[in-house]
Amino acid sequence: MRFLVHRKRALLLSLAGVVFGVAIFIGTQAQTQGFAKYFIDSSLGSNGAVIVRSRFRPRSPMLVPPKNSKIQAAHRSYFEGIDDASAIMRVSRQFSDVVSCSPVLRGTLSARSGFENATVDLFGIDPALHLQTTDLSHQIVDGNFDDFRNNPNSIILGSKLASTLDVNAGETVQLLPPGGEYRRLVVAAVARSGVGSIDATRIYSHARVAQTLLHKPYTASMIIYKLRDPQRAPDLAHHFETLFQHDTQSWQEREESTLQLFLTLRVSAAITVSLIILLAGFGIFNVLTMTVLSKVREIAILRSMGYRRIDISAIFLWQGAMIAVAGSIIGCILGALVTWGISHIPIRIRGLLYANHFLVTWDWRHYMWATLLALVAVTLASYVPARRAAELPPVATLRGSSV
Amino acid sequence: MNTDVCLSCHEIERYLGEEESRVHALRGVSLDLEPGSIHAVVGPSGCGKSTLLYVLGLLDPPDAGSVSIESKPMLDLSDNELARKRNEFIGFIFQFHFLMEDFSAQENVMIPMRRLGRWSEEKMLERARALLEAVDLADKLRRPSRHLSGGEQQRVAIARALANDPKVILADEPTGNLDTANSERAFELLQNLVHQGEKALLLVTHNPAIAEACDWIHEMKDGYIVASHPRGTRTPVF
Repeated sequence: MRFLVHRKRALLLSLAGVVFGVAIFIGTQAQTQGFAKYFIDSSLGSNGAVIVRSRFRPRSPMLVPPKNSKIQAAHRSYFEGIDDASAIMRVSRQFSDVVSCSPVLRGTLSARSGFENATVDLFGIDPALHLQTTDLSHQIVDGNFDDFRNNPNSIILGSKLASTLDVNAGETVQLLPPGGEYRRLVVAAVARSGVGSIDATRIYSHARVAQTLLHKPYTASMIIYKLRDPQRAPDLAHHFETLFQHDTQSWQEREESTLQLFLTLRVSAAITVSLIILLAGFGIFNVLTMTVLSKVREIAILRSMGYRRIDISAIFLWQGAMIAVAGSIIGCILGALVTWGISHIPIRIRGLLYANHFLVTWDWRHYMWATLLALVAVTLASYVPARRAAELPPVATLRGSSV
Repeated sequence: MNTDVCLSCHEIERYLGEEESRVHALRGVSLDLEPGSIHAVVGPSGCGKSTLLYVLGLLDPPDAGSVSIESKPMLDLSDNELARKRNEFIGFIFQFHFLMEDFSAQENVMIPMRRLGRWSEEKMLERARALLEAVDLADKLRRPSRHLSGGEQQRVAIARALANDPKVILADEPTGNLDTANSERAFELLQNLVHQGEKALLLVTHNPAIAEACDWIHEMKDGYIVASHPRGTRTPVF
């Protein structure tokens, strides 16, 4: 190592490049994935991992069923509501992936409080089942879930909707179904899911109340599922759709556009930060190339003393490896500090998500990828100078030096 | 072939350069080095002295001819095997000592030993200390080589050439960069080490006093060895 460290400042700059590249990679990934994870957790906590919706049947029998699900869907006739939600739930509970499920009667109506009006998304639920299936009880920010459970004439309001209607727990809200009459209900609690679109429109009521308000002949328009492994939702949704002949949607399909946005942001950040690591790689390439040029005489001497080409390459590759390892270790520590620091930055987000500070996620894979990227970049940067050093003809150098 | 010969070359041909600048540097050169003998190669600049040294040192493959160590032909060996032979059998000394400047005298002497991998760290340290004592540098073991005088640096280079107890030492103007006093001292040192250790020494020199003190003097001209004289039989020409 001492053979190579005479360019200390340049070496330190290269090391700093790797350190900052790794740290910023970890920080940006933690931050972008933090928001995505928060969104996913909030969505799963409110709408479940899988939703079974309207019953369907093929519009015309097809001799060869198309593989594309969109083409399949286009050849279906849909029937609003779920005829026998209890039977579907009973069968689906037999699946080991299913933790719990909850029937929901969903509809749109108007809500009024004082002079404020809003169009709302009503979820008629069974409180006990919904409690098992969602995070609703943890989302309560005002009032009490038990008050809702014990009072059939009560509702839970989304936090943004409560703010729009200017009501708090304990006050009343009038709900107006299309073509119906206002019905006054007590606000038992206000819930904040963290997803702006839910908090701005959602009202939970008891299923019977919803059925009355929405004038529906059936008790459930959808069933939402909580799964042991939400990543298995697409497979299970496909299976349920075939089994129950009801339109079924996984959370990945439901949130596809938002997830794409988060993925794009993550990839974009990763590409930007990877450039920093690549620049550090160029720095290392430059330092090692200059070192090779300044050490041709010593390399020739080492060769004359019996050192093999591979030994000479190893000296330079070893230096690259030391920079990569030291840079990765220090970078990972700095990355963790950066992530911690970012998570404490106050920021008021009230759009797609609700947050009062930057959201981060702690994931060992960010550290692994950052380290791998640094190792690959530095190895590539070290390889060419190392190979060049090994190929130097010692006699030409010795002959030149002896003149 | 004489079995006492530790290093020999036979009918060596070597061309250097390309096209118009191509030079016939060695023309049918043959030479045998026996243990305990000191050979001087003399001649004008560009006559092929250094080229012969590098060919014998397995650093520069000849275009024709053969090189043998202890009667075993070397030129069919791979680059890695040649490197191992150099490490085990040959010690090089150059005009410009070529020490690693950031390393201490002791560390410089240990460099060939590390490649050989025959001894433990303690043994290598002890051996390097003994070699530096032999060249009268016992008090400067840990001094960085850049802080040594020219004469001291060349003595470290001599100790380094002996690090792996080689059978042959090849020296390219080892005293060329030293003053007279240091030249004599370095040569005496080499003489003693070669005779005590039953090694063969081939040195390229322009110093007539040193050449005359060698067991054999080989005169080179235009790539040929034009004459070889045992000590005391040659009429000085320079």
